[in-house]
Amino acid sequence: MSSTDFHNQRSVWQSFLNRFSTDSLVAPDPLTDRTLVAVIFILTFIAALTAGLVLFGSAATARWQVLLSSEVTVQLRPQPGRAIDADLNRAAEYLKQVQGVTKVRIYSQDETLRMLEPWLGPASSLGGLSIPRMIAVEINPDAPPDIQAVTQQLAKDIPGTVVDDHRSWTKRLTKLGNTLVVASALGLILVLTATALAIVFATRGAMVGNREIVEVFYFMGADDRYIARVFQRHFFSLGLRGGILGACLALIILGALRFMIAGSDGLKDIFGFGAADPLSSVGVAIIIAIVAVALFVSFLASVVSRFTVHSTLSRLV
Amino acid sequence: MQAQSNRWGGELVRFENVGLRYGAAPETLTDISFSIMPQSFQFLTGASGSGKTTILRLILQSLKPTRGMISIFGQDTAQLDKDGLTALRRRMGIVFQDFRLLDHLTIYENVALPFKIRGRMESSYRAEVIELLKWIGLGDLIDAKPPVLSGGEKQRTSIARALVSQPELLLADEPTGNLDPVLAGRLLRLFVELNRSGTAILIATHDIGLMEQIKGARRLVLQNHHLQVEG
Ligand SMILES: Nc1ncnc2c1ncn2[C@@H]1O[C@H](COP(=O)(O)OP(=O)(O)OP(=O)(O)O)[C@@H](O)[C@H]1O
Ligand SMILES: [Mg+2]
Repeated sequence: MSSTDFHNQRSVWQSFLNRFSTDSLVAPDPLTDRTLVAVIFILTFIAALTAGLVLFGSAATARWQVLLSSEVTVQLRPQPGRAIDADLNRAAEYLKQVQGVTKVRIYSQDETLRMLEPWLGPASSLGGLSIPRMIAVEINPDAPPDIQAVTQQLAKDIPGTVVDDHRSWTKRLTKLGNTLVVASALGLILVLTATALAIVFATRGAMVGNREIVEVFYFMGADDRYIARVFQRHFFSLGLRGGILGACLALIILGALRFMIAGSDGLKDIFGFGAADPLSSVGVAIIIAIVAVALFVSFLASVVSRFTVHSTLSRLV
Repeated sequence: MQAQSNRWGGELVRFENVGLRYGAAPETLTDISFSIMPQSFQFLTGASGSGKTTILRLILQSLKPTRGMISIFGQDTAQLDKDGLTALRRRMGIVFQDFRLLDHLTIYENVALPFKIRGRMESSYRAEVIELLKWIGLGDLIDAKPPVLSGGEKQRTSIARALVSQPELLLADEPTGNLDPVLAGRLLRLFVELNRSGTAILIATHDIGLMEQIKGARRLVLQNHHLQVEG
């Protein structure tokens, strides 16, 4: 390789590097820069985790709602002078022919007693005590039967029936879910505000620290826009560094959560996923949300520093 | 505006009865009037503390006069907005008495700064910058940073940065203060050459030896807050 080749290669390499060493015009201040990266890292992590948990939580809530709204229970209280088993069968026969009902199942006396064991003690000790009995009715959640009509019909034919379509639970669950989303969104806004404020402080500090440099820039013919851009790039790169670190940690934590839930049937049930992979449905959305949070934080850093520079320059020089 | 541009006789710099005081102190400069013509060569001289740096700062617009009128490139500086100021500064080069190099950049990057600020591609000026650095004897220090340089090396870097964009007006504040006579002579020849290619030059110095090397140059002499033009 001749020396001019070497020289050319070197200058190509240099200009390539220059394009990416965006912060080269702001004097690096390792301590301040690292502190800011750490602060952004922590805030991004919290924001990304919040966003991830909101998505995960609303997915779980949606699952619960589907499960709850696809089942109705009919309860029969023992009535004096009536044979409860006959009543159960009549009710089941009626329910089976109702439009929108997909499955009807009567809980036998033994099953019911077993379900009540934790509260009432061993079934054998209850002897001939008459207890309320249940019919589990699965319905098509997309085309549900007219629950009110069913309730009225049953009450007329068979005294002592109570129909529970879990509506009060679904309502409460929806409310809980909405509250959670609103609270998290509020938290997200606060975290992002804190990030913006941290950037304002850091930019002001960097401008005071680089005051002489800013002055030299002016004398060399730079205008406010140029100087703002220099600081903007510097803080974008710091924001991006902190953002990527925060997003990575949030992804790791949520990934661990996924394996914990996937590996435990109990947790899967709690979150209402049944046999489904808990994150397969929301996983992609969560990853996108977390990456978006990290990018937004670096974007925020660059915009906020730009505005701070413009509002500070007139006072500085 | 109209009347003013009619009166403008092509001067790069014109001071009319300029006075300047720092804070509540008595005037450092009183009734200063002079002008600098295109492609001229002049020295600004006077005792230490007489106000040489102050005059350069007034030309550079880093100070505002307490009274009087300053026009730069035919523009009344009292009516200048920010963009106008930026445009004026891009037509000037300045060598600071205290160099003002950026310590975190290499010598090459410092000297290339005026180009970078003007938004030029690096490939368009790299060779030029390196050639200039070699010419003033800094070829081996291209990748060094200012803190490790000697006083004279810093001074040469700062001169290179002011020259490199071939400004219309070069302001140099004690540009040879840290140089041995041989190197000072060499740099003075660089100024003369730049002057021949069209740059007006104002060198503030109290080095009489330096001034005597350029026989025909005008001298602006500061004494007792007043300025006298000789030659
Ligand atoms: N920012 C300032 N505030 C107050 N007084 C100042 C300021 N700058 C300069 N002065 C005073 O103004 C006077 C002129 O200073 P100036 O720096 O212009 O002198 P000079 O001719 O450049 O001196 P030298 O040859 O030592 O560089 C000095 O008495 C100095 O103390
Ligand atoms: Mg001075």
